[in-house]
Amino acid sequence: MRQRRFRWVSAFVALGLVAAACGGDDDDSAEGGGEEAPAEGGDFEALAFDESAQCGTEGYAGNLAGIEAVDARTVTFTLCNPDVAFPSKVAFSALGIFPEEQLEEASTGAPVDSPIGTGPYRLEAWEKGSQIVLTANEDYWGDAPAIPTVVFRWSEESAQRLVELQSGNVDGIDNVGTEDFETVANDSNLQLIEREPLNVFYLGFNVDKPPFDNEQLRQAIGYAIDKDRIIENFYPEGSIAADQFLPPGIPQYQDGAETFTYDPDRARELLAEAGYPNGVDLGVLSYRATVRGYLPQPPQVASDIRDQLAQVGITVALDEQEEGAFIDNANTGALSFYMLGWGADFPDATNFWDFHFGVGASPQFGTGFDDMHEVLTEAGSTVDEGERGDLYAQANELLFQHAQAIPIAYGGSAVAFNATVEDAHASPLSNERFAVMSEEGADQLVWMQNGEPSGLYCADETDGEALRVCEQINESLLGYEVGGTEVEPALAEEWESNDDLTEWTFTLREDVTFHDGSTFDANDVVASYRAQWDAADPRHVGREGLFTYFEALFGGFLNPPPAPPE
Amino acid sequence: MLRFIARRLVSAIPVLFGILLATFVIGRLIPGDPCQAALQERATAEACAEFNAAYGFDDPIVTQFFGYVSDVFHGDLGNSVQERQSVTDLLIDRLPVTLQLSAAALLIAVVVGVPLGVLAGSRHNSKTDVATIVGANLGVSIPVFVLGLILQYVFALQLDGTPLELPASGQLTPGVIPDPFYEVWGLSHNSLFEFIANIDLVNAVLIWRWDIFVDALQHLILPAVALATIPMAIIARMTRSSLVDVLGLDYVRTARAKGLRERVVIARHALRNSLLPVVTVIGLSLGTLVGGAILTETIFNLTGVGKTLFDAITGRDYFVVQGFTLVVAVGFVVINLITDIVYTFLDPKVRVS
Repeated sequence: MRQRRFRWVSAFVALGLVAAACGGDDDDSAEGGGEEAPAEGGDFEALAFDESAQCGTEGYAGNLAGIEAVDARTVTFTLCNPDVAFPSKVAFSALGIFPEEQLEEASTGAPVDSPIGTGPYRLEAWEKGSQIVLTANEDYWGDAPAIPTVVFRWSEESAQRLVELQSGNVDGIDNVGTEDFETVANDSNLQLIEREPLNVFYLGFNVDKPPFDNEQLRQAIGYAIDKDRIIENFYPEGSIAADQFLPPGIPQYQDGAETFTYDPDRARELLAEAGYPNGVDLGVLSYRATVRGYLPQPPQVASDIRDQLAQVGITVALDEQEEGAFIDNANTGALSFYMLGWGADFPDATNFWDFHFGVGASPQFGTGFDDMHEVLTEAGSTVDEGERGDLYAQANELLFQHAQAIPIAYGGSAVAFNATVEDAHASPLSNERFAVMSEEGADQLVWMQNGEPSGLYCADETDGEALRVCEQINESLLGYEVGGTEVEPALAEEWESNDDLTEWTFTLREDVTFHDGSTFDANDVVASYRAQWDAADPRHVGREGLFTYFEALFGGFLNPPPAPPE
Repeated sequence: MLRFIARRLVSAIPVLFGILLATFVIGRLIPGDPCQAALQERATAEACAEFNAAYGFDDPIVTQFFGYVSDVFHGDLGNSVQERQSVTDLLIDRLPVTLQLSAAALLIAVVVGVPLGVLAGSRHNSKTDVATIVGANLGVSIPVFVLGLILQYVFALQLDGTPLELPASGQLTPGVIPDPFYEVWGLSHNSLFEFIANIDLVNAVLIWRWDIFVDALQHLILPAVALATIPMAIIARMTRSSLVDVLGLDYVRTARAKGLRERVVIARHALRNSLLPVVTVIGLSLGTLVGGAILTETIFNLTGVGKTLFDAITGRDYFVVQGFTLVVAVGFVVINLITDIVYTFLDPKVRVS
């Protein structure tokens, strides 16, 4: 039987207990002022945390207001403000559910090195520097994995990964090298699977800084860029010229959005209308040399853009900045004209639109536009997908008009497998699910990715190499479809919200057990979230203790540590 | 002899202190900011202030140095910024990989290089001699990464499915997890045992698993050959030229005049004296091996000292750069000491002087 682990003392604990026992109104039981409110249901002592009093206060920037285990199979989240993307966020692998008992051992590093989950595979061994071995979870609630063992290997070199695949040492590899696409495609022993891009590369402007406060100048730049030429010369197969800020893999992507197409004559016309009939010197185009999926060859692309702009009479010098300084400068609005991009954290439009152009966005594009703010705010609190689509179509039109960013490309990538692997797939979120793959006669599937995970407590990890391993071991309340981005049930089989999208209730699956044999219930969900949410919680310990994704998804922590002096 | 060794040991002390100073300075001379390298896009001013305070990077440089020296003498090499574990633990994980690879490469270099040099030197200006010289020049000329890729292409891809097939990776077959010998023997775990257990070939012998021994050996051949080629060529050339010199000396002529067979003249009279410079070259070759290990480990996907050092340098992981460089440098001091001692056995004049 689960034991209570915390000593939260408050008069309201008793009230919460009684309210839960009576099946009382959630609102009644949700006034704990941050205290744990155990409620009984047979021998189940339900955990509940209500922090709604913190919403909007100076010390709390987050949107999560409370979590309550209503009973062993029901969890309710309350939010400070509506969030239509909540299910999509909850499906993210950084929000995997751990047994309450293991979270208690967080300070020993247990979840980092030997995570216990409910997923189709359990961690068998992690030989640091060499391999991670997973074995099938024979008690898995879903379809049993077809291949009993999955081995993760890694190499930074795409050539090395390909040799390992060709020689039969591994069964699948991540990120086929740009120059190797043809080799893999022409090899009958292999299968090349392109990964749908879930990122966008764009040119950005701070519209508060002259001459970029001139809308026609920004539009002229949009028409001066030959996106296809950039894709053809500098991007791998599967990359696409961007026609809007959302990549096609995000559900709210709008077909047929009006976009800037290469038209140098139109660019010159707009330039003249902007007051620069003889061309203009724009100073510098800033960028960083860091390779990302959305920008595989930064210096080359920057040079090409400079040359393309010169064709219409716009001169610009290149300004390569150190990576950290560049990001800082972009976020503080110090850059006037720059190259940047974005990869999806979770597959929802808010992750792209609101982060960049919403009310709380950084000043990287300047102070922003009221019409855009209104549309995005409404879209973020609209449930109906059709209505949301209409609103994002309006957002596309506004971005085309204001042109504070010019979307250029969606960077593609690909995975490769032995031809004998069935149901092999590439996930746009890079969370390939090995449990659905099979290979006749094989008792082991070896996957080679770019790097070794730094840790396997993915609440405190951000790199895809770790997240992919975590996703085989730990499950979130919801998940993403195999090879896609649609949200589907995982540990929760149903979910619903109230009308204003501030309360979300999840019904958990029955008879789910963790890899250590313990039974999964609502308290594990509450404990897993609370450990991330409350920076003062003794379980708020990971490899680094940053819990970056939780902060990004929900806006902030409870009891955030004071910032060190400058 | 003991006095000779003691003198050598005492003379190593200032060298070691110099190494401490040099590794500390080298670590700090790496361009870039460790905070930016570690936190990347999250490297805000606040985060960096916290980071620098946690790792002591905000202390005065002199304080940092003496803190470093004190820690080293207490057996603490610091913690890796990138790997989030102690440098000592990293060494226990990574050094055995490089040690095994380098030892195998050195073995190949000596076992093949010395006889080739003797063969060429004893048949001076013959076709064998010319062929050996050409081969040695080729061996020195081909970069490790080119040879490594050629070996992978030939033995892993072209000879795939034949008895000559060899794996492209230097690691054990995926999924093979050898039990550490100390667990099999029921011994308690300690760092030394863990270090030994991480040497795959040794651990396989100690747990009596010949299948794993063969697997480890198969995966070791290509990287070891790639790494061995340059020192092997240098050793062969040095042995040849040294032997040619010695064979022209008066005492060799005397031995021949006594009617000794040429094989005896070379093996018992000439070879011992000609090996003195070869021993020096073998000692120096270890430097080549560590340098070559960086490339070899990358090509054959081994996570050893070379690859760790490379990642640490690019990641501005000061403590790993310092710790690993220190251990490698101390290794060189020890090897030089051993080389000096070997000299005394090969040439009594060295001992007397």
